[in-house]
Amino acid sequence: MGALAASALSVALVASGCSKTTNDNGGGEAERGTQAGAISYDTNDNKAPAPAVTGAAKGGNLGVFLPDGFEHLDPQRAYVNVAQLADQLLVRNLNGYREDGKGNLKIIGDLADNPGTDVNKDCKVWEFKLRPGLKYEDGSPVTANDVAYGVARSFSPDLSEGPHYIQSWLADSSDYNKAYKGPYNGGAELPPGVTVPDAQTIRFTFAKPHCDMPYAATLTTTAPVPKAKDTKTEYDRHPFSSGPYKINKYAIGNSLTLVRNPNWDANTDPLRTAYPDTFTFTFTLQADQIAERLVADAPADQPFLSWVNVPAAQLQKTTTAGVKERVVNGPTQFVWYFNINNQRITDINVRKALNYALDKDAVLKAIGGTAAGTPATTLLSPTVAGYAKYDVFNAPATGDPAKVKEILGSTTPPALVLAYSNNPRRAAQAEAARKSLEASGFKVTTKPIDPTNYYTEVGRKDNPYDIYLGGWGSDWPDAGTVIPPLFDGRQITPTGNQNLSYFNNDAVNAEIDRIGTLPNAADRQKAWGDLDKKIMTDYVPLIPAYYDNNYTLTGSKVGNAFVSDAFGLPGLSNIFVKQ
Amino acid sequence: MVRFVIRRLLLAVTTLFAISVITFLLFFAVPSSPATVMCGKSCSPERIAQVEHRLGLDQPLIEQYTTYMKGIFVGRTIGSGDFVRECPAPCLGYSFRTDEPVTDILKRTVPVTLSIVLGAAVMWLTIGVSLGMTSALRRGTLFDRMAIGASLVGASLQVYFLGLVLLLVLVYGSAILPSPTYTPFTENPFKWALGLLLPWITLGFLNSALYARLSRAQMLETLSEDFVRTARAKGLPKRTVYTRHALRAAITPLITIAGLDIGASLGGTVITESIFGLQGLGRVAIQAVEDLNLPIVMATVLLAATFIVVANIVVDLTYAFIDPRVRLS
Repeated sequence: MGALAASALSVALVASGCSKTTNDNGGGEAERGTQAGAISYDTNDNKAPAPAVTGAAKGGNLGVFLPDGFEHLDPQRAYVNVAQLADQLLVRNLNGYREDGKGNLKIIGDLADNPGTDVNKDCKVWEFKLRPGLKYEDGSPVTANDVAYGVARSFSPDLSEGPHYIQSWLADSSDYNKAYKGPYNGGAELPPGVTVPDAQTIRFTFAKPHCDMPYAATLTTTAPVPKAKDTKTEYDRHPFSSGPYKINKYAIGNSLTLVRNPNWDANTDPLRTAYPDTFTFTFTLQADQIAERLVADAPADQPFLSWVNVPAAQLQKTTTAGVKERVVNGPTQFVWYFNINNQRITDINVRKALNYALDKDAVLKAIGGTAAGTPATTLLSPTVAGYAKYDVFNAPATGDPAKVKEILGSTTPPALVLAYSNNPRRAAQAEAARKSLEASGFKVTTKPIDPTNYYTEVGRKDNPYDIYLGGWGSDWPDAGTVIPPLFDGRQITPTGNQNLSYFNNDAVNAEIDRIGTLPNAADRQKAWGDLDKKIMTDYVPLIPAYYDNNYTLTGSKVGNAFVSDAFGLPGLSNIFVKQ
Repeated sequence: MVRFVIRRLLLAVTTLFAISVITFLLFFAVPSSPATVMCGKSCSPERIAQVEHRLGLDQPLIEQYTTYMKGIFVGRTIGSGDFVRECPAPCLGYSFRTDEPVTDILKRTVPVTLSIVLGAAVMWLTIGVSLGMTSALRRGTLFDRMAIGASLVGASLQVYFLGLVLLLVLVYGSAILPSPTYTPFTENPFKWALGLLLPWITLGFLNSALYARLSRAQMLETLSEDFVRTARAKGLPKRTVYTRHALRAAITPLITIAGLDIGASLGGTVITESIFGLQGLGRVAIQAVEDLNLPIVMATVLLAATFIVVANIVVDLTYAFIDPRVRLS
């Protein structure tokens, strides 16, 4: 579902790509040409401990403000990026992202000593060897059995909130519960396709090739859970730590305090420097209060950072000296599109004309301008590996009504129904879009839809709307989690669609299949980038509206805060408190 | 007296029952699917069905309702197989979104709202009533004019304006007061009061305006009544006339309003809680409505209704003690 489907999930769902992240100005980020992600098997990259951060100091309490608590901290149930980022402190996964804040992102082994061996070079059998000396918070060793048990419990229908990639691949069906329902109620210990040859080794066998497994293994689905410690639905309250911190106090809905896990050994961890002594998460403040407090930078708030964008009303306060240096600004993995219903608008010239007609600038200004995002011309986010900058139409961001008339010629522009999710932000954007389309001669009727029902409505194949906004974020920084779900026409079903433009083209479908089986990651990335451009050049199924942006504040004592390309928010693994 | 209480209690139970049915029906009348909201990204029809089953939303409406009500009185068992959970009475179910028992959510949010409202009520009643009474006794003086003028300003302001201004000036700007927080009274009474001072001042000032004007008017009316003139004529000291005779009569209508005000506020001071960043009942209720989180919606609506119903009964009972003219029957 367009990842922002539900208001409950209004925080971005998981991971993605690669951004240069500025900590030095509030004005947006530099142009990005292409984006290359890297799965690194280099032993130097995979070596623990994690590289030291220049100028970092150990100690202190680092605080995080976020307006809502975590839905699920249980690693197998976490899907929203805030929970997944917090989990990086509590649990370790098979793989992880090393990012330096300068746009370099590498996938390396976390628990595993490298990002996974493709045993038969066909992407069907993946083997991970655990590093020696890994321990839980009670000092007991982390074993491959525990990783397998974690994956097994992620199958349970009672714990099904997390991502479903690995489960679907193992069962070779998105309805994976037909094959396996988890280790509960007398179910088998191990899911189909998972074997544990010895305590340090876990092996995944898929029916079809899944060359993205090193990416999927970064998900907290692969966090180890010892069977004896599995408290099922209660595990949410206290995940058993395998990471550098453990839970000290968790007042759900109010706050979470983490303290050091004395049994964590930096020499086994290539990803986390774990500088602060403690972490405090505060869930009670709203976005505007968080912004006010961080702008004010009172001593108690100086070691805090925010995980929610500065609201439009407070943006002006973030441009003054003393504040603008503390803005963490950079693109997230989300792209917002105005989907054009290709079943209703069948004339490609009309779709092209719409691309010229839309005033992307006004659509962005309606929600805060450059802090909220930058106008998009591609399908892929700049954070996604495979992204290559292009602009088929070369229209100004404010639209080009003259060009619309030129394309349409004597054709009368059709009357359009523009549907939107009925909350203040989306309503303002819909109004801006309507104005600009009407300025180009389209007759537009707007249709508000209840926010909780929006994606259900537009996800119905026979929906009566012509144009509607939808956001999508990759689950890991690779185009493989963007193009297939959004543009593979064979996945269109009567309800619950993600391909909201209902675009279905045999040549594109075939190319998606071909790219999915390319064994070399660099070849795949290049091919996805080319396909992105081809879709927008030859078929124009939608209007790329804007790239979503992270624009958050930190207090003056927070060091090394930058937007994680993988999660679209400032990460915590290598952050520090300035002493 | 006893008959009166029993009658009122029966009426209260009927009211609450009706509200529970209406809430339930309204919730399901909306064409939204909580399962879709909870299901999140990449949600196949099979998974939606699974979530619906897990949340019990695939049951007939009447059965869902009876299960829920049964849970409140005798408790119930939720889930199946290894995931069975005993939810003892009063069982209000589990949050659809976080799986947290709703009773736990209430346990941590009700004290917050209770602290805000009761603290503020003490403030607005003492300030408002004393200002109003004094004004009435010194009718036409400078004090009277100033007090009533100030109360006009107070009555015209809104909590989202005054609250934000006070926050900007006293907290973000000058740091005279710390950011509002909630610390349980049992943990540290001083921190409890300090953290809630700003909401108390804000609500206290705004509401005291209303009470000042009301109590002034009531007092003036009472002072012109025959029984006051009689008391004066008997030669009773001024003090006794005002406090023993006039005040008692003037205060009765104020109690009605105060009782209802407090009862309604306890149901959720959403705006106040939002402005000051306090996680009380109101914010939880609003969030639950946005998320289609039925168990929390039901619990907060019922609790808010209970507060109002109970406040009504308490007001009626108090009448009998304060005003000898009122007899409960």
